[in-house]
Amino acid sequence: MSAAATTHDHAHDHAHDDHAHGHHQQNFVWKYIFSTDHKTIGMQYGLTGLIFLLFGFFLMLLMRWSIAYPGVPVPAIETIRALPAIGDLFEAMFGRWLNADGSLNGELYNMLGAMHGTIMVFFGIVPLGFAAFGNFVMPLQIGTIDMAFPRLNMMSYWFFFISCVLMMYSFFVGTGPVQTGWTMYSPLASTANIGVTSVWNHGHTWWLTAMVFNISASLLGSVNFIATIINLRTKGMTWMKMPFFCWAMFVTAFLLLLAFPPLEVAAILQLSDRVFGSSFYLPTGLMEGGKHLDISGGGSPLLYQHLFWFLAHPEVYVLILPAFAILTDIIPCNARRPLWGYKSMVYSVLTLGFLSFLVWAHHMYLTGMGTMMSTYFQITTVLISVPSVILLTCMMISLWGGSIRFNTQMLFASAFLPMFGIGGLTGLPLAFAFIDLALHDTYYVIGHFHYVVAPGTIFALFAGVYHWFPKITGRFMNDKLGKWHFWPSLVGMNLVFAPMFIQGMAGFHRRWYDGGKYFENTSGFTNWSTTLTHKIGAFFGFDIPDNMLSLNIVMSIGAFILALGQVPFIINFWFSIKGGKKTTSDNPWDATTMEWATPTPPPHGNFLFDPVAHRGPYEYSVPGHGTDFYPQWESEPGKPETNPAADKVLAHH
Amino acid sequence: MDIPYTVHARPDTGLYNAKIGIWLFLASEVMLFGGLFSAYIFLRVGADYPWPVHDLDVTLGFVNTVVLIASSVTVVMAWACLKMRKFGWYRINMAITVLCAAVFMINKTLEYKAKFAHYAVKLTDGTLLTGHLPHGYQIKFDGVTELSLSVPVKKSAVSADPVGYVLPFIEGDAPKFKTEDGQEITLDQATFASLAASAVEKAKAANKGSASIKLVAATPVKFAAKPSEIFGYTDTTITFRDGTTATGKLVDDKMTLEVDGVDARGVAQSEKSLAFDHRYLGEAWQKAFVSNRDHHISKFEKDYPTRDKSKSATLQKEALFFKLHSATPPAEGEAHGEKHGAEAHAPAEHGGGHGEAHHPTVVLEKKDITFFSNFTPKLNTYYAIYFTLTGLHGAHVVVGALVLLYFLVFDDKRLKKDPEHLANRVEVGGLFWHFVDLVWIFLFPLLYLL
Amino acid sequence: MADNIEAIQKSVKKYIAIGALLIFFSGLTVALSYIELPTHGLNILVGMILATIKAALVALIFMHLNHERSTIYKILAFTAVFAIVLFVLFVLSHDDPLTFSGFYSPVDR
Repeated sequence: MSAAATTHDHAHDHAHDDHAHGHHQQNFVWKYIFSTDHKTIGMQYGLTGLIFLLFGFFLMLLMRWSIAYPGVPVPAIETIRALPAIGDLFEAMFGRWLNADGSLNGELYNMLGAMHGTIMVFFGIVPLGFAAFGNFVMPLQIGTIDMAFPRLNMMSYWFFFISCVLMMYSFFVGTGPVQTGWTMYSPLASTANIGVTSVWNHGHTWWLTAMVFNISASLLGSVNFIATIINLRTKGMTWMKMPFFCWAMFVTAFLLLLAFPPLEVAAILQLSDRVFGSSFYLPTGLMEGGKHLDISGGGSPLLYQHLFWFLAHPEVYVLILPAFAILTDIIPCNARRPLWGYKSMVYSVLTLGFLSFLVWAHHMYLTGMGTMMSTYFQITTVLISVPSVILLTCMMISLWGGSIRFNTQMLFASAFLPMFGIGGLTGLPLAFAFIDLALHDTYYVIGHFHYVVAPGTIFALFAGVYHWFPKITGRFMNDKLGKWHFWPSLVGMNLVFAPMFIQGMAGFHRRWYDGGKYFENTSGFTNWSTTLTHKIGAFFGFDIPDNMLSLNIVMSIGAFILALGQVPFIINFWFSIKGGKKTTSDNPWDATTMEWATPTPPPHGNFLFDPVAHRGPYEYSVPGHGTDFYPQWESEPGKPETNPAADKVLAHH
Repeated sequence: MDIPYTVHARPDTGLYNAKIGIWLFLASEVMLFGGLFSAYIFLRVGADYPWPVHDLDVTLGFVNTVVLIASSVTVVMAWACLKMRKFGWYRINMAITVLCAAVFMINKTLEYKAKFAHYAVKLTDGTLLTGHLPHGYQIKFDGVTELSLSVPVKKSAVSADPVGYVLPFIEGDAPKFKTEDGQEITLDQATFASLAASAVEKAKAANKGSASIKLVAATPVKFAAKPSEIFGYTDTTITFRDGTTATGKLVDDKMTLEVDGVDARGVAQSEKSLAFDHRYLGEAWQKAFVSNRDHHISKFEKDYPTRDKSKSATLQKEALFFKLHSATPPAEGEAHGEKHGAEAHAPAEHGGGHGEAHHPTVVLEKKDITFFSNFTPKLNTYYAIYFTLTGLHGAHVVVGALVLLYFLVFDDKRLKKDPEHLANRVEVGGLFWHFVDLVWIFLFPLLYLL
Repeated sequence: MADNIEAIQKSVKKYIAIGALLIFFSGLTVALSYIELPTHGLNILVGMILATIKAALVALIFMHLNHERSTIYKILAFTAVFAIVLFVLFVLSHDDPLTFSGFYSPVDR
């Protein structure tokens, strides 16, 4: 509040005072830790999500080292181990599993792989995209003072926090974290390390418990989002005047609400299999290590896959829809053009949400579930590409004829479009069972979904951070550092993920911890990309062999570039909070949606006047209007709303 | 500054916030139980054993159904009374609701408790014996003189066992052991840990992959452990789950079972079931079994002359799942007193203590047992889904009752100041309560009756 | 929503009557489950129809779904569709009508 007071006119200060009278002074704990304010909760989610994103990325760097240089000690491993505190932490989490010479083995690689997936999906992107941006921006955009259930909102974050703690704790238990991939397929996941005598020594147990908390958190969050959007839209904010951001969050919340419970069921049943010895996912006569397991049998691994993918496919859209949401604010704002095809986008996103529940088993063509099921799921899978393409196309057309401002967030946003396009188009072949049978579990699949999620969603999330940072802190992030963040990220992402398509079609399996070293004979053939790698290596004086394995080195260099690219972002983020250039107005980007009508940063209660939505959310370059934007909240051209909300609010009592 | 529409409905949607919230939550709950029910269907369609029908206590289940329906009525009455501002009746109705929840949970506890004490043993020929283990079941070793275990130097996920896992299985006080160096020690958690540490140090110095500890007992010790706690055993050695091996002599691995049922549905020729071997139930029971079976088959032929006998699961169960009600075989002719298996597990409530006269006792040899479990999720997928469904449902009952109890006891201020708001809260809590009832409406027939 | 007092007063009797009807249906379900129909599948069908009627009574009367707002109906309609998808498609993956093959041979249970 104090930052706002110094930068804003007198009317604001006055209103702040009014509003402070109504509230007893909050101390630090209630204001920042157990806060019920949607903006604080959004920031809590955001910071936690960013930290986990970085952590998940670090896991990936270790994996990439093992793939490119199998059997070679991790660089500077002795230095890391010698560091005070960090060294011990590293030793307890990863170091204890390393080979004696400091290189990675399959066991550690599997842990890293499983936890990379879990953390990125459930602890990085969903909290950041849905919970952080949704919590901060959505109530502001629909012009309300807070979420419908502020205390549930707080509980949602703290459930999430507990799940983070439990998930991190699984690194420290006896068996280490799970090793069975983020999908946790049974029967492997039901029986892995089951010989270990204490249930609480299993990373699996902690994974499953953590997920139960995580699911409860997203359940509370999604109930809150939907109830808020249905019931707390401000005056004039009809459904079709609502920014697309809120529509996308609305659909995402529904996906979380209805798709997560089956995963909870899957987790509970698997926990029962592990702890109580039941056989939900264990077929009759299952043997392990030449011994019949002490189980009754009668279950089916297929059940797990159904329950899991019933969540996990909608989950993909939970990852991507917040990205679309963020972009539909950034692209019109920086192209100074209305969003093209708003209505068709709204209907597309609703269709997308509906269809996403009906496509899950395209992850399961290889299970032998039958041709009729495969046929059905091929049809729905191809159908769902239609609304996705509409969304992407609308955003591309929105650029047409605009006067684009290439600030950092717009760079990320415009890079998203082709990157997501590549990710989406490479997914089409996978929709067909006969192609999927060949490509299943190869790097082709990894490349496909990482193009959607990494340079796709994560770019959009970065764009969102740059876009709303001035609203949150009252200061801009540095544009030059932003560009130093963007370009290495773009190059790094493509160097990491593009070669995966080539390797994948050559048959590289996704779980080779040594990057295919032991399959050198089968993967030794060459093509233009490997020859290019060889020649470029030779130019710099390196001897990179001319075969498929050399692409591993390309990808790992890409990952390294990507890592370096994040340094400017981290510096930029922390320094700009206190040292960035101050904003001179509440609406620094000249945007039209309602979050920019609030003081900066928005106080508890958000608005200083009762906001009314007078027009659609994307009124840029309206012919005949004085400025090139016409905000939703302005009743007449150029006239600011001044009537303070304080007395209006009394009407609610 | 308050959130709008917490008490009164928003005009255009016609709903107050909490009502949207609870319906969304219930939608999510529908998917939760939907997932569980689809798991039920999936498991039942794919089951490779006769799916238990009427195996649970139907009377108890029916009582619980009535109790839940009654509580559903009272909770909606409580809301109506609050709306009409009849505060006394509101309190009475709420109290009855919470009381009903308590009765439901007590019944549930009784039902679960009986299941935990009741066992099923699968013999090698597919026969399933049900009954009680009066003495539990343990593998017993005597005269153990040597104890050896290997501790891997490099940590690996499969060797994450706590040190000293075997200690609780030693009978008697902390025993005295001698180490390889001739050192005399008393074996407890602390000495075990230091032994392991020094062994690992030594192995590291010698550049070996694993360290081994060998202990010799000063006086022979006894071990007793449940089958789930050991990895395997022979006549002279026993290996525990953490890899510790003890050398001694196998004393007892037989299972004493008070049989209250013989399920021969998994046997090709039911009268030749291993259960009627002369070591076990013997010929007299076999006769009783056969006469009971033939009685049910001929009755079925008479009642339903056109139907295929092999396709009636009920007949299979009545004819081949034979219940034992006395310690000795009944005389000719009085064997088939009961028409239905409804009260199948009623005897379970007796426990071990005073049931000695009711059932014959057999001593089963280890080589004849392929699998055994009490009636818990481990037994088969039916009991697994039964415990999961009813357990989760029970958790919902408890949570719902606690919420209603909170409204009844701690929300008096709101009752006096803002009864309309409390009515909304009771309505929302009631909606959840009705949902719990609604789930039970499906659970009861699916698990108890069909 | 029956918000006026008279309407609520009237509905009190209705609640008790519905409660009695529900208990009656429960008894009927128990009784019918002991009758041996030509296949056990028919028993299951009859039991599930009765359970559905009971569930509908609870939802419509006790949960006031007989006069609720359209928003709630929309939410529940989507949920119902997805729940049915959950039931049907899981089972279909057991055996395959197109090739008459599957994991398990269909057994009459």
